[in-house]
Amino acid sequence: MFDDGRVLRLLDERGLAGWEALAATRFFETATAEGRLIAAQRVDEPTPDVAAALEHPRVPFVSYPYEWTFSMLKDAALLQLDLLEGALGEGLTIKDATPYNIQFVSGKPVFIDIGSFEAYSPGEPWIGYRQFTRLFLFPLLMTAWANLPFQPWLRGNMEGPTASDLRNALPLSKRLRPAALLHVSLQAKMEQRMSGAAVRDQLRSAGFSADLILTNVRKLRKLITPLEPGSSGRGWVEYETCDHVGRDRAAKGEFLEAELARHRPGRVLDLGANDGFFSEVALRSGAVAIAVDGDEPVLDALYRRGTSVCLALGDLTNPSPSQGWAGTERPSLMERARPDLVVAYGLIHHLIYTASIPPSGVMSWLAGLGCPVVVEFVAPDDPMVAKLTANKTDPELHPGRTRAEFEGIIARHFETLATRDLGDGQRALYSLAPR
Amino acid sequence: MIFGYLDAGSGSLILQAILGGAAGILVAFKAWKARLMGKRAVSEAQAETEEQPVTTEH
Repeated sequence: MFDDGRVLRLLDERGLAGWEALAATRFFETATAEGRLIAAQRVDEPTPDVAAALEHPRVPFVSYPYEWTFSMLKDAALLQLDLLEGALGEGLTIKDATPYNIQFVSGKPVFIDIGSFEAYSPGEPWIGYRQFTRLFLFPLLMTAWANLPFQPWLRGNMEGPTASDLRNALPLSKRLRPAALLHVSLQAKMEQRMSGAAVRDQLRSAGFSADLILTNVRKLRKLITPLEPGSSGRGWVEYETCDHVGRDRAAKGEFLEAELARHRPGRVLDLGANDGFFSEVALRSGAVAIAVDGDEPVLDALYRRGTSVCLALGDLTNPSPSQGWAGTERPSLMERARPDLVVAYGLIHHLIYTASIPPSGVMSWLAGLGCPVVVEFVAPDDPMVAKLTANKTDPELHPGRTRAEFEGIIARHFETLATRDLGDGQRALYSLAPR
Repeated sequence: MIFGYLDAGSGSLILQAILGGAAGILVAFKAWKARLMGKRAVSEAQAETEEQPVTTEH
């Protein structure tokens, strides 16, 4: 619940009991001090029909697992396991296991759903195990063992791939590994055989204990820790050193700094952020910086460097929509980003020449974001554009590509606040404010 | 999740015992056996009900 910028969590009687049990543990104290669990403070709020209210610090940018890189999902999975192990050590459990309960703050995963903790009832199995496999383990195995990106799966199915889905995706050599036989093939078979059977009481009577959960958790950690992405795509890891990007960086950085000083934005959205160089310029100005890029290896490298920039992996020709229950449970990328300034360096020529979006469509989309934009124009005779259009003839390209035409399009949507030519004049920077 | 209660999956719950190692396999076996016995008890009770003569009143 958001109230004047504050984040409040309202608890019913059961939630209050869970919170009191959690707040009394040393585990809660250390996990919040280490930043692995979001801080929470009980507040007196005149809210009817609730037992209590907690206040949390605000997460600067909410991202979803289908916008995460491999290392982000892996770190989130390990955090989920660590917290479950810590909670069980003090008589608590986590009643679900979903990455939607984890957010990235200052480059680190933080568990945000205090309401997921409750007292562990002796003999209870781990209710979140299947969810953990579908939303953490299987997506990671899909990328590590089958060399398939997990993000389209998570975006397409809010519950994640089933054991049968993953079994079908894995190559035979991986399907025969012990972990795959147990977590994937056996789970698929048992789910099919035992659908709808009541087994919790039988497990309790048969002597199920928290030790069995802990053994499973430790084995899962051992399985997940060494996982690395398969060799999917070489991406743009070398982009900075092999192209014009590095060459114009100083000038582009200075131009951006001047615009940051002019607008003093609270939130900067860096579209086509590549290795995050300009996002970090924005971050240094004191803004929340959100880097969006479609290149997973580059964004993953940025994450692993420990950046405090908020990250979202995504294709800007198809950004995350509003989806989930009622089509609103998970708001769209742009609804969550809410930028005060947009940076679009080295971006629009990719949209125009690779994705074939008309220049007028690109600029009206940027204007629709409703805030000032710092944009880089690239002329049709630029060597990079020549590469992008190597197999296109003139009639296959949209009008509006020359600088004069581009400035005409700009004038329809924006007021130009500043411009700067780069290098040999084939590129130029514009600071624009929507009309 | 907006709605906090998830379907844990019956097969996945029993599987967890197996994943808990040697001690867990015994637990899984006992739970599975208890389930079979439960099923048999139910089917025997149903069979007995079906065998009872049906009396009708006119």
